[in-house]
Amino acid sequence: MDFAWSDQQRELLDAVGRFAREQLNYDVIENDRNAVFNHEAWKKCGEFGIQGLLVPTEYGGLGQDPLTTVAALERLGYACKDNGLLFSINAHMWTAVIPLVFNGTEAQKRKYLPGLCDGSLIGGNAMSEPNSGSDAFALGTTATRQGGKYILNGSKIFCTNGPIADVLVVFANVDKSRGHDGITALLVDKDAPGFDASHKIEKMGVRTSPMAEVFFENCEVPAENLLGKEGGGTFLFTRSMTWERGCILASAVGSMQRLLEKCIRYANERKQGGQSIGKYQLVASKLVDMKLRVESSRHMLYHYGWLAGHRKAVYLEAAMTKLHLAEAWVKCAEDAIQIHGGYGYMTEYEVERELRDAIGAKLYSGTSEIQRNIIASLIGL
Amino acid sequence: MKILVPFKSVLDPYEAAAPGGSGATAKSVINPFDEIAIEEALRIRERGEATEIVGLTIGPAAVDEQVRAAMAMGVDRAIRVDDARSLDPYTVARILRVLVEEEGPQVVLMGKQAVDDDSNQTGQMLAGLLGWPQATFISKVEFLENKTRARCTRETDAGLEVIEVNLPAVMTADLRLNEPRYVSLPGLMKARKKPIDVRTCEQLGVKVQPLTTVISTARPPKRCAGMRVESVEQLVLKLKEEAKVL
Repeated sequence: MDFAWSDQQRELLDAVGRFAREQLNYDVIENDRNAVFNHEAWKKCGEFGIQGLLVPTEYGGLGQDPLTTVAALERLGYACKDNGLLFSINAHMWTAVIPLVFNGTEAQKRKYLPGLCDGSLIGGNAMSEPNSGSDAFALGTTATRQGGKYILNGSKIFCTNGPIADVLVVFANVDKSRGHDGITALLVDKDAPGFDASHKIEKMGVRTSPMAEVFFENCEVPAENLLGKEGGGTFLFTRSMTWERGCILASAVGSMQRLLEKCIRYANERKQGGQSIGKYQLVASKLVDMKLRVESSRHMLYHYGWLAGHRKAVYLEAAMTKLHLAEAWVKCAEDAIQIHGGYGYMTEYEVERELRDAIGAKLYSGTSEIQRNIIASLIGL
Repeated sequence: MKILVPFKSVLDPYEAAAPGGSGATAKSVINPFDEIAIEEALRIRERGEATEIVGLTIGPAAVDEQVRAAMAMGVDRAIRVDDARSLDPYTVARILRVLVEEEGPQVVLMGKQAVDDDSNQTGQMLAGLLGWPQATFISKVEFLENKTRARCTRETDAGLEVIEVNLPAVMTADLRLNEPRYVSLPGLMKARKKPIDVRTCEQLGVKVQPLTTVISTARPPKRCAGMRVESVEQLVLKLKEEAKVL
């Protein structure tokens, strides 16, 4: 395992940092307040090459390995303060792009991937339902085959990118009597008849990433939009969810590093009782813990990236990485507010937003409790 | 039309770098004014008025990172004169002159100055050595009469000055000429396949005899706290005796 970057990787990472620093950090406070998605920044990220990092070059991507990809996303999270934009990019990459790369037909890849890479298309998935969250495969949305198409009925909730997506990977059951084996993935275009993703949902954090409730009412999807095999949805979902768990918080590691540096600066500048607050052991101790969290998170992330790039089994590592990074991010953001005192609670200081943005990480891609269940089952409990 | 864009690698002005440090850990970037010159050359090519853009720099192998950044922006090919010494503007202009004569561009477009030594001399000296017209501090350029002349807007202390120069000419870019594009990752990957032609001063027949020597560098003194004075008389006295500015 070697995490020493080659000259080429270093160049790529530096380019990501510079791009994000100079191109993505405008109107972040206003967009967060008004829950506005930054379309222009999305397009720039596509043109720059973020969305296509992992995609093979023949489909418009950059063909980077998983380790380089997570390191690039970490650098993106460090330099870009719009966590919502990054959350949308992550949802797009792990829940739409990855299933297409691994399970798409040649025609589907040619049709969708170049646009999903260059920023002209936005993807996402629709899995969770009002009555099926952690118990994901108990979903109630149905897909009935009728000649050359599937007819979808049902509703989905918490659909990241829903209001802005051009294409969603939708999970539905073709035969409820088959249980998990009936779950099927379908590519649903935004203009499919009977598809409605216009109901936006307000939320606490990552507010610049739009989320929708999605409805299918006799929604017609051409049969060639079947992604993978009929009944293969469980396998497909598990595979993309493993990628998602391992990688989705890569940018959070960068965000933690940024918070740490901001806190160290503040602890040195802020004087109380005749000395920098960083000289007080209670504050210093928080910063040391923060440093440990950032470093351990980074090591778990790179370890996961290396394993994924060497085709090793990563189911356990993905769950552990997701769990540790989510908890570390929330704790770092909370401590960052505490170190900044009253100022940290003020919007202008851009610390409180980080906490609101971080908290969702303990819920999406499987709650912290679900990750613990997975880990427990894999260590023999 | 061929455009030659000489550029310099400088320490990243956004990253804190200690003056007098070795610079070993500090990151380098293309001098921001040169980056503006590169961007302008790309725009000239994009509107169909230039066919080739050749990048040109002087520095050790580590500078290849900035060379690739220039090529990732869209420079077609690049020449690096391998020399790790810190060179004065006159020496740089002499090296550039040899390569300009070899390449035969219609325009040499570069930054008005480098942000590290702020000399603001190389472009002017190069024009002098070549006997070419010069348009310095430009904020706009357009080509006239089948690209035999150029109309340039110069930013001067007195305001905007519009001049026309015959080509070939040397132009130096000011801040407001354009906003450079960012290097994209696909561009960076393509740049790895573009050739870098590495030369030496000996091959070019330029004898390097530094005309200036850096004796020392130091941080500017820290600003101390101000003080309140009771009267104008006291102020004048303090300005004379303590600040010694009167």
